[in-house]
Amino acid sequence: MADVKLAFIVSKPPYKSEVPKLGATHAMAYQTVEILLEEGDTVTPVLCYVGDGVLNCLKGQKAMDIYGITSTETHLKNCLLVDLDVYVCKEDLENFGIQEDQIVDAEDMGAEKKLQVVPFETIKKTVEEAKHVLYF
Amino acid sequence: MKLGVFLSEYRADSTILQRLSPEKLGIILVGNGVYHAAIKEKGQSSQILDLKANFYALKEDLETRGLDASKLDSRVKPLSYGDLVDLIFNEYEKLIWM
Repeated sequence: MADVKLAFIVSKPPYKSEVPKLGATHAMAYQTVEILLEEGDTVTPVLCYVGDGVLNCLKGQKAMDIYGITSTETHLKNCLLVDLDVYVCKEDLENFGIQEDQIVDAEDMGAEKKLQVVPFETIKKTVEEAKHVLYF
Repeated sequence: MKLGVFLSEYRADSTILQRLSPEKLGIILVGNGVYHAAIKEKGQSSQILDLKANFYALKEDLETRGLDASKLDSRVKPLSYGDLVDLIFNEYEKLIWM
């Protein structure tokens, strides 16, 4: 039995390219990967937003209303619904003057999980402990 | 020269804009460029806004990103797509995209 830790790091702001959204998509796909593992083996992904990437976490995104595309906010809500750990760098939120009540939650969809605002040191530790680091 | 510049990046090199020094410069913030109008870092507005220019930000791109078009830096005017068409046809002779 083994647990493989994966760290997905998103450092780019949303929408200019598909890359930052793919970070969340790939992190969510961990459930699919588990089907391919040996009995008892697990994958533990952590999705981390750092630098300009924390701008992905602003709530109130109207991408579907305006451009007809699924918003990054909806993607993040889906991550919370599947109980993914999502870390948002505290220092980078402070740098942009973003308060915790301005970031996405999925209470309206019944998720108990929330985005976790953590110091960069926690994200660094997550990267150190991960077997694979995927950078978006 | 009356120059309109579409700026679609947040981390952009604006030195070329300072060197061009057109008689009239309009900077139209679209895509991730809208963060220049709506976000401060360490309490400081984007240095782009210190340029001598007229600034505009596309409302649709602000709202897509969860940004409030009514809370922009006072130097920036929010625009709809319709306003943008009027602007580029009536106010600027040349347009570039950065």
